[in-house]
Amino acid sequence: MNEDKCLIIKDLSFGYQKQEEILLDANLSLNNGEILGIIGASGIGKSSLLRLIAGLEKPFSGEIFYFNKHLNSKSVFVPPHKRGIGLVIQDKGLFPHLNVMDNVKFGISGTKKEKIDKAMHYLKLLKAEQFKFSMPNNLSGGEQQRVAIARALATEPKLVLLDEPFSSLDINLRSSLRTETKALFKKTKTSCVLVSHDLDDVTHFCDRVLRLENKKMVEFID
Amino acid sequence: MALPKISQLLIKFTIILFFGFFLIPIFFVLLSLLGEYNNNWTHLIDYVLTDYIFNSILLITGVSLVSLIFGVGSAWFISNYDFLGKGWLEWALVLPLAVPPYILAYAFTGLFDAYGTANELFRLLFNISDNYVFFPNVRNIYGAIIVFSFTLYPYVYLTTRMAFINQSRTIIESGKILGLDNKSIFFRLAIPMARPAIIAGLALIIMETLSDFGAVEHFAIPTFTVGIYRTWFGMYDLGTAMQLSSLLLIFVGFFLILEKFERNKLSYSLASSTFKKFKKENLEGWKNFATFFFCFFPLLVGFLIPILEITNWAINFSSDNFFSETFINSLFNTIILGLIAGVICTFFAFVFNFLKRFDNGFILNGISTFISLGYAVPGLVLAVGIIQFFSLLDKGIFGPYLGIALTGSIVGLLLAYIIKAYALANNSIESGYERIDRTIDYVALSLKTNKVRIFFKIHFPLLKTSILTGMLLVISEVIKELPATLILRPFNFDTLAVTTYIYAAEERMFEAASPAIMIVLIGLIPIFFLTRIIRDSRPGNK
Amino acid sequence: MKLKNTFSLGLIFFLFSNYVFLDKEVNVYTSRHYDSDAKLYEDFTKESGIKVNIISARGKALIERLRSEGENSPADILITVDSGNLWKVQDYGLFRSIKSSLINSVVPKNYRGENDEWIALAKRARVIFYNKNKYSYEDLKKLSYEDLDSREWQNKLAIRSSNNLYNQSLVASLISRYGEKYTENWAKGLVKNFARKPQGNDRAQIIAVANNEADLAIANSYYLGLMLSGKKGEKQLSAGKKVNILFPSQEKNGAHINISGAGILKSAKNYENAIKFLEFMISEKAQKHLVENTYEYPINSKVKPSPLIAQFGLKFKEDSIKVSEFGKYNSAALKLMDRVGWQ
Repeated sequence: MNEDKCLIIKDLSFGYQKQEEILLDANLSLNNGEILGIIGASGIGKSSLLRLIAGLEKPFSGEIFYFNKHLNSKSVFVPPHKRGIGLVIQDKGLFPHLNVMDNVKFGISGTKKEKIDKAMHYLKLLKAEQFKFSMPNNLSGGEQQRVAIARALATEPKLVLLDEPFSSLDINLRSSLRTETKALFKKTKTSCVLVSHDLDDVTHFCDRVLRLENKKMVEFID
Repeated sequence: MALPKISQLLIKFTIILFFGFFLIPIFFVLLSLLGEYNNNWTHLIDYVLTDYIFNSILLITGVSLVSLIFGVGSAWFISNYDFLGKGWLEWALVLPLAVPPYILAYAFTGLFDAYGTANELFRLLFNISDNYVFFPNVRNIYGAIIVFSFTLYPYVYLTTRMAFINQSRTIIESGKILGLDNKSIFFRLAIPMARPAIIAGLALIIMETLSDFGAVEHFAIPTFTVGIYRTWFGMYDLGTAMQLSSLLLIFVGFFLILEKFERNKLSYSLASSTFKKFKKENLEGWKNFATFFFCFFPLLVGFLIPILEITNWAINFSSDNFFSETFINSLFNTIILGLIAGVICTFFAFVFNFLKRFDNGFILNGISTFISLGYAVPGLVLAVGIIQFFSLLDKGIFGPYLGIALTGSIVGLLLAYIIKAYALANNSIESGYERIDRTIDYVALSLKTNKVRIFFKIHFPLLKTSILTGMLLVISEVIKELPATLILRPFNFDTLAVTTYIYAAEERMFEAASPAIMIVLIGLIPIFFLTRIIRDSRPGNK
Repeated sequence: MKLKNTFSLGLIFFLFSNYVFLDKEVNVYTSRHYDSDAKLYEDFTKESGIKVNIISARGKALIERLRSEGENSPADILITVDSGNLWKVQDYGLFRSIKSSLINSVVPKNYRGENDEWIALAKRARVIFYNKNKYSYEDLKKLSYEDLDSREWQNKLAIRSSNNLYNQSLVASLISRYGEKYTENWAKGLVKNFARKPQGNDRAQIIAVANNEADLAIANSYYLGLMLSGKKGEKQLSAGKKVNILFPSQEKNGAHINISGAGILKSAKNYENAIKFLEFMISEKAQKHLVENTYEYPINSKVKPSPLIAQFGLKFKEDSIKVSEFGKYNSAALKLMDRVGWQ
């Protein structure tokens, strides 16, 4: 197998009801450190694809490899908390009962001090340190999204999945957060799969773009 | 690699086995359906069964209507308007939960019978002859409807108020922009959106009404439950009585399943986790006063009037032995039993709903529905199920090998309470779970977090309010429970409800007053915490 | 650790304390909820050193508990009101013979089980109450239960619901004597004579007569004693003063008598103590206490009833029918009342 492949998906089929596949023999591969965009109309199955990679759903058939390790096949299923893949969802993703600091600390392991240091590090990287003691409900949409990304990165995953992370933000904030996040991913050599229905997001953020169409990945031609 | 699957199945099996234990007494009741059907059935069908059914249907229809009007109505006013007394009415409206229906029934007859307090006062005020009776007789089905409605409406009030508060302002505002007036918003948007919550509260009310014996017996209304007891006590026919109970259970079970099915169809999430503060409409003039009165009325009938009447009894109590030793013991027993049952019920309900969240399978759902059904079993019938089950265990295992007996031990009492009150804990926690977005679980799983950690670190803190609410409702139910306690208790063991009953059964209301007041006061402790939860649960009150 | 152990021991004790037996005790299941009985049990303990453990609950529920527990039952004695219940327990074969010459000498034969399975502790008569302002004794002295279906009493009778054991027993006694057909006709007429839908307890019926809502009330004798004692308040006292008791059927079979009674169970582990307990219960001292508080008629002939109830006469004719007959015909009585629409 190829050493510098972060993620390989082979002949993946999935649906919420039998005989009604959303994905049918879909294939995909992602290089280490690459930022891949997937574009497609709403409701076509982009989010489901991310949920499959994260381990929140089980596919009908097909295989998923993560750095040459089987995540998913006929006999293997690695549960989500053992996969080490980060996930950021459009909104509602922050734990409402924990403040920003505790949200970011949630997935980090280590001593108390290590946790705080690491959480601060990532909050700073996302320019979110000034509201570390705020509750999520008191933050704006953009601020919440920064915290969510910081929280995902703080577990230091090799791969982060982004589900429409910028779509609820206004235009100015959107382009700045895009640029900063991309720079950050490149700096930390984090691979990323972003799904969005927004062409602008995908073209500005990603190294490569695919389109989800007719239950399969196809080349995106602008 | 197929190992995890087997261990998972094993865990599931253990859980099912464990919870299955709580179903056995209900199965003992249902088992009667397989027994013989004797000719008492012909008699029942020919002469009385239609009456029993008709009266019960009339009763639950009336109770549902009245508690919907006051429960849903007051919840709507409280969560959308500012008016006279709103601040305290918001929590005071739950207080009637501390009054058991049978005590309200006693208070009502104490007030409105020919020589009752209310009629006496009336005659005194207007100086009328001794024989004049002003207030209508309450010993009929309408009196019973009032008694159940005004002690039980808080269940609907609680669930509906929560639903109204969580309703997205955006939807209500879009309604306004689309030109709906307040009335249409209430009937066409708010009510349909709150329907699952309303029905969940209503289900509790109906089950409690159907299983009650104390109040309907006092009023001598031939309901289905009275029929069960008549068959047992009068015809010495426990078998047919159990068969009748089973029919009642099947009826209730059918509606519970229907309700679940309906709720699953409506699986859109109405919760908005981002609360927005909004300015409530200020009511003025007659509207202000009318709204106050509408919300005050159920409190008056369900709480203040009985309290006044019981206090009246207490004042007439001649002996100075108001707090006797029996009384102190009953108090202690009641509190301990309430706490134990409360913790066990909520723990089960929490674990159950947690498991259901990740595996909404047939078996877990089935068991949960079944235990909830326990709320509708008439207490004494449930007690018989428990006694029969425990006697078998005693004869088979406990007696010969351990030398102890389960029958007549506190374990039996606790089992009865858990089966009777599980529905209350389950309802509260289930609706709490419905307000937690599943996204949160998904994100947590992606943060190297297993399910156990989600249970303790995320669900538990987020559900704290629901768990506490459930626990408090269970405790207040245990404090009020009477018929099963009477027969299942050990020697020389009294609870407050038992002490009240012993006096009230002789209609020695003056002596009954001290334990009765204590039932209400102790009942007020959980209700007090509940009211604090209610006050704090308002968005923006952090 | 120690604390934990103590705690778990305490918990186990709390959960199973029921079965820590002492030598000198007697375990009683009773459906008499009277507070005054508790005082009586205390006196017994003082006198004999035997502790009395009590579970009080509805009679039928206690019987069911006894049946399920069988040989394992901790109960020694069952006390219950209404002879029907005693008969049923005897029928299930749960009682054993009470062998005491003292008891036999005090309790008359017709107030004991056939083989002394149970004994009566106190008697009550189901009698007619009338308003002194409306009727005199002479007007009514020939009145019998059998006459109450006559058109003469249309809309004039007050009686409680057919859920009530005492009514079931009264009807059962008529079935036993005259058969179902006669009794059903009689009950049909009786229901037509009701002044109102059956409601309230026996005292409510007496009040209805005092209040002129009805002319005649059928209720148990001791309720009037209770009202006249003033324990129920001023109003009931003055209502009680307005009425008089008529012992029905004095020229026929006599007034209907029911009992509260007790039996010793086969499972009894403290038989000797149980005998002592019952002997105490029929002793003059206990009987006196009993009748002074509950206004029942004593089973011990040496004891006089409370003056509050004795004033209405003691030399009335009692129906001599075996009280166990009530149990045999209870089910038939209930069905009959259902058929004639007695609510």
